[in-house]
Amino acid sequence: MDKPKREPIKNGKLWIVFGVLLAFITPWYFPTSFGEILIYGIPLWALVIIFASLLLSAFLSYVLKYHWMLEEEEEEKEAEKKGAR
Amino acid sequence: MELAFSGWSGILILLMYGLIMLGVGITTYLRNRNIHQSLDEYYLGGRGLGVMVLFFTFFATQYSGNTVIGYPPSAYRMGFEYLVSVPFFIMIIMAYLLFAPRLYSLGKKYKLVTPAQWFEKRFKSKAVTILAALLMLYGLGNYLLEQLVAIGQGVSGLTGGTIPYQVGVIFFVIIMVIYGWLGGMRSVAYTDTMQGIALLFGVFMLLIGSIVYFGGLPTSADYMQAYSPEKLGVPDGPGVVNWFSLLVLIGIGAAVYPHAIQRIFAAKNERTLKRSFSRMAWMPFLTAGVVFIIGIIGINAFPGLSTGESEQLVGMMASAVASQHVVFYWAMVLLFGGVIAAIVSTADSVLLTFSSIISNDLYGTYINPEASQHKKLLVGKLVGLVAVGILILVAWFPPGTLYQIFVLKFELLIQIAPGLILGLYWNRLHSKAVFAGMLTGTIIASVMTIFDYSLLGVANGLWGLLINLGVCVIGSLVVSVSVGEEKEAKQVIGM
Repeated sequence: MDKPKREPIKNGKLWIVFGVLLAFITPWYFPTSFGEILIYGIPLWALVIIFASLLLSAFLSYVLKYHWMLEEEEEEKEAEKKGAR
Repeated sequence: MELAFSGWSGILILLMYGLIMLGVGITTYLRNRNIHQSLDEYYLGGRGLGVMVLFFTFFATQYSGNTVIGYPPSAYRMGFEYLVSVPFFIMIIMAYLLFAPRLYSLGKKYKLVTPAQWFEKRFKSKAVTILAALLMLYGLGNYLLEQLVAIGQGVSGLTGGTIPYQVGVIFFVIIMVIYGWLGGMRSVAYTDTMQGIALLFGVFMLLIGSIVYFGGLPTSADYMQAYSPEKLGVPDGPGVVNWFSLLVLIGIGAAVYPHAIQRIFAAKNERTLKRSFSRMAWMPFLTAGVVFIIGIIGINAFPGLSTGESEQLVGMMASAVASQHVVFYWAMVLLFGGVIAAIVSTADSVLLTFSSIISNDLYGTYINPEASQHKKLLVGKLVGLVAVGILILVAWFPPGTLYQIFVLKFELLIQIAPGLILGLYWNRLHSKAVFAGMLTGTIIASVMTIFDYSLLGVANGLWGLLINLGVCVIGSLVVSVSVGEEKEAKQVIGM
């Protein structure tokens, strides 16, 4: 069975998640005290930003892998054909 | 960059890097002798780059020697507020998701070689394509100029002035041109891989050395708590605005660099492209993150530097680390060689894309479409060479006035974004509106930059981009697009 073609830009839900992550990687929501608490020399707000950035990278990897399928299937078929010859 | 290394080890490492690059060029040439008859083979490596090589060649377009030399001083001055340099590199990959999937498909379908060719295909307008091509050439030219200056400064700094600035530039430019000519995109991508690995290794050694000899983040944080607590604090209002505009600006800006776009076409297949991007999404932690920590450690290691002095921070730290142990000494020599190699690798990508636009679009489409591919290639290479010659002269004899026209790059390159991205999805987008938008955006961004005028603290390029986008959208809605034209656009986009 053919998998449906997928293009990230057409999937609104993904961009809502990207929007939320974008909000989390911008330091607008921290109380001042987050600059005073240090963990291994890193202020707490910066740790939260790093964590949110990791989430963004992880989500990007997920989207790249599962929500971008335009040519892959055809290319794999072509590759198989070539291999069979 | 003043470095305490005696000249000879610096000279040795630079010669070694130069010879390896040449070796890569010659090997590529011997293995792929047929590439000089085909634009596809020469400029896109036959559309066959695998995950690793594609990844490193994308890496080279985003991270240059500047990331290593220029970012730690910013972290030194701004403190944790400069942590933004990590997420803004991740944003570039998010920006790619806006257009790379479709552009890859269309690139394959229409055998696109350059970003300018997409404009030709989509808008079928000589005016739009030529304007886009000129903007890219101009922006790329200035980008190249910046890299050439950096090569010269880096070489003379690394060798303690033993090799003068001019000799450094000429040496690396000759090597770069030779391996570029011999192997095209393949050479460029393979050398990018070598250069990327050298840079990563060096940066990690500098981080380890800094932690061992200066103390890690906790030591630095103690210092900041006592003397400059604002460097630890949560960014204030303007700080947050600056942070956010950097995220958006760098994300979109770096993704639409012409040499970055062109690499999409060079991928072997969709899966390869996706995997390379996926790795790129994690790299900011290992690159920008590491150089950020180095800058923060510098706050404690070399306190109280003025802005000018802090620009030398990486050199000071590397010299101090190098003097501690012979292993670190050689690691630091390798690092600085790697920094210069990284600048060369950015320069070669830019030069290759520059030549491809001449070969494929200006000469190959409008001046002499009947020419053989061999001839088109030759013209592109020669014009590229002439451009490099002119840029070297500009670098040596900087003009006293109007120097600003050589600074414009990002402001111009970003102006192709609306036509490029909207054109992929919106059938109604009209070529006249795209032309008008691109031109207005360019003029506004350039005039603001040349006369050093800024508005509301938002970058000039972004003002140009906003107006450009407005003209594109409103213009397309106002100008009536004939049913035929809309249908034709739909057919080209074809999804």
